[in-house]
Amino acid sequence: MRTVLVVDDSRIMRNIVKNTFSAMGIPCDFVEAGNGKEALAQLETREINLVLLDWNMPELSGLDFLKKVRAMEKYSSLPIIMVTSEAARYNVIEALKNGATDYIIKPVNEKSFREKISKVSL
Amino acid sequence: MEKYIQPFVDVCVNVFKEFIGVELETERPHFADKNDLHSWDVSAVIGLTGEARGAVVISMKADLACRLTGMLTGSEHSGMDDEVIDAIGEIINIIAGNAKRGLEESFRLVISLPTIIRGSNHAIQWPNDQARIICIPFKIFDDETFVLSVAIEASHGA
Repeated sequence: MRTVLVVDDSRIMRNIVKNTFSAMGIPCDFVEAGNGKEALAQLETREINLVLLDWNMPELSGLDFLKKVRAMEKYSSLPIIMVTSEAARYNVIEALKNGATDYIIKPVNEKSFREKISKVSL
Repeated sequence: MEKYIQPFVDVCVNVFKEFIGVELETERPHFADKNDLHSWDVSAVIGLTGEARGAVVISMKADLACRLTGMLTGSEHSGMDDEVIDAIGEIINIIAGNAKRGLEESFRLVISLPTIIRGSNHAIQWPNDQARIICIPFKIFDDETFVLSVAIEASHGA
């Protein structure tokens, strides 16, 4: 069973992301983190196959999490998809430059998930 | 000023439709004073920095905040619990983040985490005195209203 790490400081949004992902019918377990720092701890404790990552969070932002994770060789190919309200093109470019695998703009829907997830080998 | 406000109006209408599944009716925007009295129970504030400075605020009655939260969570909320605070913060976060797209030819903006202010006639500390506050009322569910308030001004040197 694949494990998806959902990182968002909003519990409601974590649930929406999980429900939207589940609607695609891909069997997986979910683990959650409320910020980048908690997400780093989750990565160290279990095997994660995909990270769905918010940008604006307290403690450690999604972008800073991304930079830290990509600096570690063992996570260089881990799929990390930004799921964020940051819709400006300069934000998308910054995330992709820093190693994001793809980018989904909130509000999320099944169509955008399907499009992006289908490109990721889980 | 109008060209800075329109992206917030468009995004607000779209976010309510896509995120919550509710159609809004936009009413006539007006200037507001930070000392104006109001009847809202809760406001969610996002600060704007970068090449412009200001804030975007959504304000509503507690009953409406609970109803909107219920539509997102599928559960009933009768008071301003943590989920209601979470929901209102996320709504303003999505509005502010999406509005950046419509403003990107004017400014590169950085948005803050949302701050929630509660209580009757609560005061909002606006970040700059110079920018005028534009208040956009929206009608929702036929007979309820909330407002989106925006103050934005180019930073010096931007």
